[in-house]
Amino acid sequence: MITLTADIVRSTNKKLTMPTLTIDNQTITVPEGKTILEAAEALGIVVPHFCYHKDLGAVGSCRMCAVTVHTGPMPGLKMACLIPVEEGMVVTTGDDASATFRERVGEWLMLNHPHDCPVCDEGGECQLQEMTISSGHGIRRYKGDKGTYTNQDLGPYVAQEMNRCIQCYRCARTYKDYCGGRDFGVMGSRNRVFFGRFKDGMLESDFSGNLVDVCPTGVFTDRTFRFKSRSWDLEQADSVCPHCAVGCATIPGGRLRELQRVCSGDNPQVNASFICDRGRFGSGYASHPERPRQARHKDQNISVEDALTLLESQIRTAVQQHGPEAVLLLGSDRASLETNWLLQRTAKHFGCRVPVLNAHARRHQTAQIAAFDFSDRLASLEDVRNSDLVLVFGVDPLAEAPLLALALRQMVRKQGRVLLYDPRPVELPCEFDHQAFSPAGLQELLENGGVEGRHLRDLLGQAQRPVIVAGADLLGPLGLQSLHAWASGASNAERSCQVYPVLAGANSFGTALLSLPEQDDLLTRLESGKVKALICVETDPLLEAPHGERFSAALAQVDNLVVMDYLPTPLSTNAGLFIPTCPPVEDSGTFINNEGRLRRFRQVIKPGLSLARTGAGEHPSREFTLITPGGDPLPAALVLQRLIRQEQELSELHRHLAEDQPRLKELPTITPGAPGKRVKPAVTRPQKTDKLPEQPAGTFQLVVSPARYGSDLFSRFAAKLAPRLTSTRLYLHPDDLFERGLKDGEKAVVETDFGSFRLTVASRPGMAAGCALVENNGDCPQLIPGAGLSYCHIAPGGADE
Amino acid sequence: MHVVRGIRGTLQPFWVTLRNMFRKPVTVQYPEEKQQLPERYRARLILTRDPDGAERCVACHLCSAACPVDCISMQAVEAEDGRRYAAWFRINFTRCIFCGLCTEACPTLAIQVTADFELAGRDLLKLVYEKEDLLVDHCGTNSNYNFYRQSGIGVSAPRGRNPGEAPPADVKDLMP
Repeated sequence: MITLTADIVRSTNKKLTMPTLTIDNQTITVPEGKTILEAAEALGIVVPHFCYHKDLGAVGSCRMCAVTVHTGPMPGLKMACLIPVEEGMVVTTGDDASATFRERVGEWLMLNHPHDCPVCDEGGECQLQEMTISSGHGIRRYKGDKGTYTNQDLGPYVAQEMNRCIQCYRCARTYKDYCGGRDFGVMGSRNRVFFGRFKDGMLESDFSGNLVDVCPTGVFTDRTFRFKSRSWDLEQADSVCPHCAVGCATIPGGRLRELQRVCSGDNPQVNASFICDRGRFGSGYASHPERPRQARHKDQNISVEDALTLLESQIRTAVQQHGPEAVLLLGSDRASLETNWLLQRTAKHFGCRVPVLNAHARRHQTAQIAAFDFSDRLASLEDVRNSDLVLVFGVDPLAEAPLLALALRQMVRKQGRVLLYDPRPVELPCEFDHQAFSPAGLQELLENGGVEGRHLRDLLGQAQRPVIVAGADLLGPLGLQSLHAWASGASNAERSCQVYPVLAGANSFGTALLSLPEQDDLLTRLESGKVKALICVETDPLLEAPHGERFSAALAQVDNLVVMDYLPTPLSTNAGLFIPTCPPVEDSGTFINNEGRLRRFRQVIKPGLSLARTGAGEHPSREFTLITPGGDPLPAALVLQRLIRQEQELSELHRHLAEDQPRLKELPTITPGAPGKRVKPAVTRPQKTDKLPEQPAGTFQLVVSPARYGSDLFSRFAAKLAPRLTSTRLYLHPDDLFERGLKDGEKAVVETDFGSFRLTVASRPGMAAGCALVENNGDCPQLIPGAGLSYCHIAPGGADE
Repeated sequence: MHVVRGIRGTLQPFWVTLRNMFRKPVTVQYPEEKQQLPERYRARLILTRDPDGAERCVACHLCSAACPVDCISMQAVEAEDGRRYAAWFRINFTRCIFCGLCTEACPTLAIQVTADFELAGRDLLKLVYEKEDLLVDHCGTNSNYNFYRQSGIGVSAPRGRNPGEAPPADVKDLMP
């Protein structure tokens, strides 16, 4: 496999030479180590190819990219993807020799093709279709039999049709080499080469959906998208995945008012060209059957205009009668940057106190450390991929930031080293050293160090491109501040030790950046009893913040509960006034990801009940109306602008935002689909940090971890992800299990600060002793990750009734 | 010379009229009398069936992609045997310009033109044809063609049993 030039240069510190070559009479200068194919692509010359992929490299197995090299010691027909450029090289792509060769290759790749394009989902975006036509092959001459295969059932996400295979090995290279999956590979010999599992079954890797994107033909297609639409009929736009804070580039596609599929976009700084299955198959939230689409006042459906008039009068009355404290506007880390900023503007407009931008106070506080203290040393995922030493503290990458796990694998493949400190039995698709530290032990390690800490700091000092990955949920403000000291200590004049914080929500960084020091947290303000109207914008503190019982109790003193949301959360059903809004695929806006990168997304589809539901599988209605059924929801940013009667174009809004927030100066220049730019660094903002609570005797440290699927609200409301959901269990170290007299599969009662739960116990040898691990996936919605260190009692739960 | 030409120009039309007065008229008394149209006349579209009686249309969307006036829409679904077919298929004949590009694009010979041009009506909605209005119970032209017998994905015959196909490879066989 060809290693990218940038890496060669960086690792050997050789001086960069730039050979100049001529391709089809056009001259280009490229960095040394680039191949003819890459140079031709830079010139805009299309050389047909299959096995070469930007992020996978080339293997020279398809023989499609033949070009003629006219100079050098061995001129002649060469594979463009394998030959590095040389000074003075002269290449032609359209000459007779190479064109005829490519036509023959096209013909032989089509020998066994089943000619079923009309029923193939790849049709329209199939590289084999394009390359066959571009190679010039048209009429089949071969008279022998076509080879066939038996397909495998690869589970609910990926459909296989092996007869279409052209043996380019892209799938195996993606699944095994790039993503580190182990249950998929190459089988057979000679013309029986087969790509699949040893036997039928769901693909185990959390990145299995990438097979669909990389396969140049229709061998692997999206089963959830089967026969739904043709690529040319889809409404597509550059978007950002809202499931976690990595901010991967995605290209969602919708048709007939339904979000039908999500493909990976390309962002070389963030996700390269891959995304995880949670992002790809977790898109059902937008067309969830229970999604609220109608504005409502006390169980009565009203129009959005009436709702806005009502809301305005409610806010004005509350402010006039009870003062600025009486109205509490609540933002969210799944709402866009624009929405959160408009909330602040709304507060100013009505003269109420500054809004709280995140219901989860501790997560918000931690995100502020990432957004302020770390702002001059934030690593991108590309930096992680190119690092030689990564220290991971308190992160389970596959659950909290799946693409981080892929980035770690790439750096390990380049001889990098990963050291991971976490109480959970973390799995990664690469080799790494895991030390199971309890949360308290981890804080101790970061604060005081000891022998292990000194050793780690030495390693950081010696490494050439060290990166620290900091899990915000588990470490909290205290841990992140300690890591800030570590990173500053390990930096020197030549290179800085970078930090990649792992935050919780798609826009956690953005809300932290916008937050004002005087905003205070949600529960403090609610429990003061002064709040008369609570306006929750795209958030449900019952599901997204700890201490839901305190929130519910405080809600009793609130006269008016106003909710704007697009998910069928419990709070939106209980709201006195409800206004429907749009998820990111139906809205244009900005998120700021973990690395402080502004990521723009563009509206993909317009809101409305999908035809699949209004037509119930039958043809569209024969009654023609101008009203879209279920088309009431408006983007939250637009709702707020109408509320304050200042409607602006998005570009104008961005200009105002950039003027108001100097750190977002670049915002107006960023387009959807572009890699996005970083926010400007800021000065450190002082944070008050609480001391860790003392551990009572006989208790366990409670570790609430997000589950890989079903922890974020988006995937909880995505029906397609149901096969991947796991039920909540209580995981204990085998020694602890034995000590408590419990056995695998028995029930136990866990008494926590957030309520008591009766769960099935399971032993996990890889985890830290003295910890009780519970995965948050909707079974126990009261247990929210990132609530801080707390302790729990565990008692046998008796037999089932 | 002008005088001669003038006289000839005046008399010639009378002569032509006089000559045709005794010929049989070509005008057809439509609608009482119907005219025999050429075989390849392009008018109302139909969805034909394959020789085995199954629907030929696989809802591949090529006709709707080829349609210059966007009058065809459909939704594909999968039958239990893996066959792809149209859940609904709609042609809006108020928009159709009878160009026949859809029939040229159709890879399964499902959509075909007929010579039935009598589509005029007062109710526009009656010209929006659904699948049941379009589907006929014959093969139209090319009565021998069945798409699934040509494409090797194991729908009309088990995998590897269509004409010109080798039986499925045993991928765990390592013999050279």
